[in-house]
Amino acid sequence: MTGFLDLYSEKDTFLHRLDPRVKLLAVALISVLAFILTELLYLVVLLCFILLLLVLARSSYGKAFFALKFVVRFMILITLLWPLFDRSGAPVLFSIGPLDITEPAVWRGATSAVRVGCFATLWYILMFTTSQRDLVRALVKLGLRFDYGLALAISFRFIPTFGLTIESIKDAQRARALELDKGSILRRSRNYVSILVPTIVYALRTADTLALTLQSRAYGAFSNRTYLREIRMRASDYVAMTVVVLILLLPALAKYIYGVQI
Amino acid sequence: MQALTLKDVRFRYPGMSEWALDIPSLEIQQGEFVTVLGPNGAGKTTLSLLANGLVPKSIKGEFEGSVEVFEHPAPKYTVSQLSTLVGMVFQEPESQLFCMSAEEEVAFGPENLAVPRDEISRRVEWALDLVGLKGLNDRSPFTLSGGQKQRLAIAAALSMKPSMLVLDEPAYALDPMGRIELYSILSDLKAKHGMTVIVMERDAEDLVEYSDRFVLMANGRVTASGPPREMLVDPGALRAAGVSPPQMAEVASLINLRRKAPPLRFLTVDEAFAEITINTHHHSKGASH
Repeated sequence: MTGFLDLYSEKDTFLHRLDPRVKLLAVALISVLAFILTELLYLVVLLCFILLLLVLARSSYGKAFFALKFVVRFMILITLLWPLFDRSGAPVLFSIGPLDITEPAVWRGATSAVRVGCFATLWYILMFTTSQRDLVRALVKLGLRFDYGLALAISFRFIPTFGLTIESIKDAQRARALELDKGSILRRSRNYVSILVPTIVYALRTADTLALTLQSRAYGAFSNRTYLREIRMRASDYVAMTVVVLILLLPALAKYIYGVQI
Repeated sequence: MQALTLKDVRFRYPGMSEWALDIPSLEIQQGEFVTVLGPNGAGKTTLSLLANGLVPKSIKGEFEGSVEVFEHPAPKYTVSQLSTLVGMVFQEPESQLFCMSAEEEVAFGPENLAVPRDEISRRVEWALDLVGLKGLNDRSPFTLSGGQKQRLAIAAALSMKPSMLVLDEPAYALDPMGRIELYSILSDLKAKHGMTVIVMERDAEDLVEYSDRFVLMANGRVTASGPPREMLVDPGALRAAGVSPPQMAEVASLINLRRKAPPLRFLTVDEAFAEITINTHHHSKGASH
């Protein structure tokens, strides 16, 4: 299951073993929780919890760093830019020319940044611990039509193939003295046509063989096709699901029933 | 029993004036290993697609004549039904593997045929073992070598339990070792499982010892057919037909041009060695007398 653009790494942690459907549910519910929480403190607690999960996922430092690099950059950007556009509230902390930077806006910026950090890290954990194969299986099991699931699986499968094809076409054209990154923007984009055309031709030819192959393997012969491997919920999956539901439910009850400010 | 019977078959792709295939009669016996040789555009691919009904069912065109697969008239069956009789392997290894693991690839056919899970599992192990990929169940097809990919494609066809395999230039993208591995697996399938094998190729090298019969094609027609050794007496004729003959056959014919003695007949390196050593032995004996 290795190939570039695939974040998944094979490990044996409880997050890897968890049913992919439970993981999808967890991502959805914890995201909702991040929306419900408005106090910075609680969001930071949630982010710490999610980072703990990232540690438990035992992803390699390289991958974790790659993921967090984007998340942290994005969080800093939000924190800095938010007060520039949201100038409501008082007191004004300081002014940059006509722009008044207010204290509540700074807090709101930081809050949104942490919230986005929660979402992004959650998705990374999902991708680190769930193979594309299991993800597609989960979606089909959750009711996605097999045709769409297959289409999704095929596109996952062919990403690295097309990536390599584009690279070798680039090399071939460079060997014919095509300078891809020289000249004006117009010139450069025109240069890329000579990459694009062979790539499209290759893609069409691949699609053609693929269609014949699918038919030769009796694709669509029976509507009640069987599956060699089926994902099945185990006791631990139900426990995890309950925990996830409680994680959302308790704060939601506190906020909407008892009016606790969180 | 006949595995494949063509009678007065003609097929023309839409918008073309020439027949892509024009075969008055072609019969392939059950358990036969047939190599169809011909240059690009000879009609090899069209012939292979005809065997499991993709032509004319999926690839439309003007079609006449009768095609029988194991004595079943092909037009009466769907491609899916025919796929349990005829396994197809295409030229490009990369574009006929679309699953995320070798196991899924092999399971895909039987899954579509609604085969029970236990049986699929058995067939996956069986097919991967036959093509020498045992234990690679979880490998991504993307990470396999060219030869392994092509063997996986064969396993994916085998898991549907066909009685005939049709392979369209399967060794096209393979190195010499990969070619030999591929052909010897096909030859094993014939010998141990009675599989009928039809290989479309442009190059006769390596296929002499595996094939029961060579069928020569040009411009959609069958121009000659017979045991490889008979067909290779005159390698020049093969070359003229756009097919590369085995190099050893060419060596033999070049030597024979300058020899007055009875012609040498060898097609492989081993045969050449045997024949040449016998002959030189004979000569040196003659000289001492």
